[in-house]
Amino acid sequence: MKLSEIGIRRLLQVSSALVIVGLALEILSLLWFHPLSFVLFAFVAASLIGLGILVYLVSLVFAGVPSVENRN
Amino acid sequence: MIGILICQIVLSIVLASIFLIRPSVTSATGWKMVAFIGLGVLPALCLVGGMNTHVQRSETTRFCVSCHVMIPYGQSLYVDDPNHIPAQHFQNHRVPADMACYSCHADYTIYGPLNDKMQGLKRIYMQYVSTPPDPATIRLPGGFKNAQCLHCHLGARNFEENPVHAAMMDSLKSNQTSCLSSGCHDTAHDIANLSHAKLWRPIQ
Repeated sequence: MKLSEIGIRRLLQVSSALVIVGLALEILSLLWFHPLSFVLFAFVAASLIGLGILVYLVSLVFAGVPSVENRN
Repeated sequence: MIGILICQIVLSIVLASIFLIRPSVTSATGWKMVAFIGLGVLPALCLVGGMNTHVQRSETTRFCVSCHVMIPYGQSLYVDDPNHIPAQHFQNHRVPADMACYSCHADYTIYGPLNDKMQGLKRIYMQYVSTPPDPATIRLPGGFKNAQCLHCHLGARNFEENPVHAAMMDSLKSNQTSCLSSGCHDTAHDIANLSHAKLWRPIQ
């Protein structure tokens, strides 16, 4: 297994964890009828989900870069 | 609506869990597509759906009076007095009862709803971090603008044919004469006298 492949898998796991926690908090904010539920969604859940998507996109960029062996 | 959104979120969580437990499945082309949907498309849709739901919810009367300082303002909508402008609008459904606060207090300009949300966040900050204000001392920044009233009343026959309104129409439109504070319709949320006021009880 190549080192970069391990790195991409690690990034996928980080991305998944961030998305799962963010989405769980989003469900909590939707079920909680309180002024703070908007704050929970906008500042915590949305940030975690956004960060998770960003990490996933970064992993795609790494996956798209050909290794040194392939380039030669 | 919230049910559909929650189903979508649960589906997204299930897909993301697969990649958390077994990230190696993305070696196959088909799973790459699933990962794109589960970690990219679906969470983004959940974000948009969540924001939409929260913004819509923040426009409801129930949401506004869920803040402690707004409770007396919510109660003032039930004052049994036709001179009490907010109560009269609320009780006679001149504004949607479930969006009573938003209908009169929303800024009907292009960035108005955004400004209102920022004001709301500022009040949440004041409530939890700074010193919350006494409900009786709360005043709208810049006062209540006539544009809020004219948004609905302008063009209405009984408003424009009223000789008092017709005589001062330009002054009302330019906000030189206030609908509320110039002595005409001056009873808005009378929080100070709320404990003495007779309240209307809707028939269940």
